[in-house]
Amino acid sequence: MRNKKLITAITVISLALVLAALPLLSSACAGPEEQTLKIGITTPSTGPAAEKGAPMGHANLDAIKYINEELGGINGHPIEVIWLDNGYDAAKVVTNVKRFQDEDALLFGTSSSKMMSAVMEIANRAGFPGIVAFNAPVLHRPPQHIYGQMPDYGDDWTAFTRYYMENVWKGPGKPKMALHLLNNPTGYGALDAARAAADELGVELILPAEEHTTDTISEIESLTRIKQQDPDVLYISSTPAPTALIMKNAVEIGLYPGVTIGLGHAGITKALVDIAGADVVEGVYGVFPTVNWGDNVPGMAKMTEYCQKEHPDDYGNMDYITSWAQSLIMAEILRVAEQNVGYDALAKGGEEAWQAIETQGIQKLNYDVEGLHGPVVYTPGDNRLSKSVRIFQVQGGNIVPITDWIEAPLVKYEEFDWFGQ
Amino acid sequence: MAELLQYLITGISVGMVYALIALGFVLIWKSSSVANLALGQIVLISSWFTYSMLVQVSFPLWLAFPLVILFALFLGWMIERFALRPLIAQPILALITVTLGIGYLIEGVVTFIWPWSVDALPRLFPREVVRIGPAVVSQEYVWVVGISLAIFMLLTLFFRYHKMGIAMRATADDQMAVQACGIPVTAVFSRSWMFACMVAAVGGILISSIGGITHGLVQTGLKAFSVVILGGLDSFVGAIVAGPIIGLAESLGGGYLTPLTWAGVKDIIPFIIIIIVMIIRPYGLFGEERIERI
Amino acid sequence: MNLPSGTRNYTYAQDMAILRTRTHWALFIGFLLLLFTAPLYLGGYWLGVVNLIGITLIAATGLNILVGYCGQLSIGHAGFIAVGAYTSAVLTNRLELPFLVGLLCAGLAAGLIGLIFGLPSVRVKGFYLAITTIAAQFIIIWVINHWDVTGGFVGIRVPYASIAGFEFRSETSQFYLIMGIAALFTFFAKNLARTRVGRAFIAIRDNDLAAEVMGINLLYYKLLAFFIGCFMAGIAGSLLGHWIGFLNAEQFSLTESILYIGMIIIGGLGTIIGPIFGVVFIRLLQQVLTVEVVPFLERTFTMLPAGFATGVTPMLFGLVIILFLILEPRGIAHRWALLKSAYRLWPFSY
Repeated sequence: MRNKKLITAITVISLALVLAALPLLSSACAGPEEQTLKIGITTPSTGPAAEKGAPMGHANLDAIKYINEELGGINGHPIEVIWLDNGYDAAKVVTNVKRFQDEDALLFGTSSSKMMSAVMEIANRAGFPGIVAFNAPVLHRPPQHIYGQMPDYGDDWTAFTRYYMENVWKGPGKPKMALHLLNNPTGYGALDAARAAADELGVELILPAEEHTTDTISEIESLTRIKQQDPDVLYISSTPAPTALIMKNAVEIGLYPGVTIGLGHAGITKALVDIAGADVVEGVYGVFPTVNWGDNVPGMAKMTEYCQKEHPDDYGNMDYITSWAQSLIMAEILRVAEQNVGYDALAKGGEEAWQAIETQGIQKLNYDVEGLHGPVVYTPGDNRLSKSVRIFQVQGGNIVPITDWIEAPLVKYEEFDWFGQ
Repeated sequence: MAELLQYLITGISVGMVYALIALGFVLIWKSSSVANLALGQIVLISSWFTYSMLVQVSFPLWLAFPLVILFALFLGWMIERFALRPLIAQPILALITVTLGIGYLIEGVVTFIWPWSVDALPRLFPREVVRIGPAVVSQEYVWVVGISLAIFMLLTLFFRYHKMGIAMRATADDQMAVQACGIPVTAVFSRSWMFACMVAAVGGILISSIGGITHGLVQTGLKAFSVVILGGLDSFVGAIVAGPIIGLAESLGGGYLTPLTWAGVKDIIPFIIIIIVMIIRPYGLFGEERIERI
Repeated sequence: MNLPSGTRNYTYAQDMAILRTRTHWALFIGFLLLLFTAPLYLGGYWLGVVNLIGITLIAATGLNILVGYCGQLSIGHAGFIAVGAYTSAVLTNRLELPFLVGLLCAGLAAGLIGLIFGLPSVRVKGFYLAITTIAAQFIIIWVINHWDVTGGFVGIRVPYASIAGFEFRSETSQFYLIMGIAALFTFFAKNLARTRVGRAFIAIRDNDLAAEVMGINLLYYKLLAFFIGCFMAGIAGSLLGHWIGFLNAEQFSLTESILYIGMIIIGGLGTIIGPIFGVVFIRLLQQVLTVEVVPFLERTFTMLPAGFATGVTPMLFGLVIILFLILEPRGIAHRWALLKSAYRLWPFSY
């Protein structure tokens, strides 16, 4: 080819130009200057957890939209949300949080405890505060920069056990409690709390606890073992489908009605009643940290309005309530922090702003979340924002609350040497 | 002693569930030497379709059931026609990977059409349990055992005496000879996939009556592989026999080992059995040993 | 060697060279420059994506040696990566050994476990071996979940990687660490393919009975392939652990293993540049799809059905894998080779 030398020369020169220009190109991507407060939110809206993650992402964005449009943002400063989907994949959520840090977000929120566990190291090392909707002991013990929005699976257990001891258990001595756990942090969170607090609450645990998988098709064998031990109460910490199967099997072998059965908040949902059948789960107790759709609380009206307007398919989904509340809490944190240190200190972003958000925002919280779940008050040494749950019982196919808000006591897991770090 | 009987009964009934899924796998392997790793997902989508027919569109049972069968036949035909026929002579890695890709695709379609990932079929079987001495077993399991044995009988007879069945066996043995005899190989593949999907659909209806429709159906499909390996990849008898064996191993092993070792030992037993079988007797109890020549 | 017609090698050095002409060298050095100055122009987020690609590349190259060169089907690679990650985590967290020791032991541990689970490969192959590796993955994950040393279901924290007191805290420092190790292993794999060992692998892949007849010791070479492939998976796992900072067994699922198989098939089996293409393609597709495209679509077209965003990713991935297998089973590497020869031969098409 005659022009080969020319082509080679042009290629080399253009490559060199591109190489030199890249640093300039990327730094020139400045957005329009607006007086916003940035937060980052990442939800598992695609992937295996999408049936929870998608409504949660919708709720997060709807609530921020409500705050920006009807309340004028935070003292006139709109909240800018960087929303990223993480597909329930640890590596993706890591890149998401790094992006939040890059783009000067002031704090970030995630939905699931597994996602937060993947990024808590990075966030803690950088001092970047984060809020997780579904909590787990390992995320907030020992307390650093990660805050749990709602009580975790261990708190469910302590709250239920306390209620059981005070209201249901009538005999002398200690009741025997059996545990049936899902083979992941949902289940084992309850075991951690049980091991830590059983003696204090006056309960004798039947160990080892029984374990099951999400895809189990028969738990008769493990329930037979439990039945042999003659327990007084059985606590199941799992998701609706396996819980329904365990309930059906328990009825089949005659274990229930007989023992008292309590469920963690992941299990006591409408799906449970549908799959198992209302007659099977009649009289089962459960713990749940938020209100139900249609309850008479201040925040219900606006939430219902926006849900029907923006995402009508999500109406009735309990996770929607959780994430709507999460956005409200994040906005409240910004409001309190902006009140205490002023907008300019926050707008700078970076480590100082993060510290300000934490010390002057999160740690000065005293918010009722418009009644949507237990009140959010920070107590030093305890990174759980809301510590209260309500006890429910299945009556006639409906899940009805039978108590008011009960606070779950703090368990200092890191003092036990079996607590992994 | 009473628990022993309960463990035995539970083990056999759970094992028959695995055997039912395994029959679908063996069917495809026997006729086309393709390993169908998408079986769990096919069970899943058939269960969701059944739910759709019974609950969303509210057809009565006598109409819904044939529609589900038709759907399964259609699904099998589609998979074979569009994904497997272009790959007829390819190496085994390509075939296995394409079934993995199909599985992934089906999962996506399921999430697309039914985004709430958990639901239940309406009650198809009566609630009361069947009592055998001090042990109990729920009625769905009795049906599972009955239907598995029935399908096993049907398939064995079909493969031994029916023209199409014999053609399938011949195709698995030597494709070129079969083509030389004038039997359309593509029709053979097509039929075998359609039947296998039908078996998977029936299995799906039964299993989701027991445990609801969840993503766990895919994992149950994986446990069925251990049945297939133990029984022998190309043997129906193997699937029916190995199913209860694996179920009993899970049940008895879980029952007696769990208090001694860790909770959850029951779940790993099928996979350990796979490894042991591979080392001792790779072709399984009833499988045919393949002799390879250069 | 596929040399264009008319070119000849006149010396042994020329024959052995990976890069033959001056243009090749110039382009290669240009590419390296571009790569290693990446931290200058990529923000922390994209640098993180590149780091993830680098880690995945190490594991994928290992899998390629096992599956592409030696023909041993292994669908349990995520399990071996997990072994490496957890070994490194336990050694640096609980026993407080230095990072390099953890890295090396991670590779060795994963290689040994791979060796043990690869023993059946001497008796079985094809689908049977695939099922064995799937079972291996489940057993590994189960042990990780039920052993207190590895943190059980909760998981385990992984401290920063550090060599001689220098801590790899920032994305940039980790970038150089990961890219350096990835370049090293790619070079290793390229040379492995050209030596006696590599040729033995290829012979085993093509027809292992004939290879045995020719005198290749099947036991030794098959186990060696498992060891090398899983060693690299272990190294990748260790780097992954230090990059994320917290390990949980749910991060290493069967879907990950299937994705790895997809990566090397889409990239091109049995080539060195194949895994690079495959990894970049799949990881970029994942990132762009789930993080950019889907939320964008959801926000602009609010009338989409509820399941759209959640279902479109697996559907698209499954479809991509199937289409690649049907239409271009030799992967992107083959297309790349075709492109190169088209450039060389232009305007002639043959």
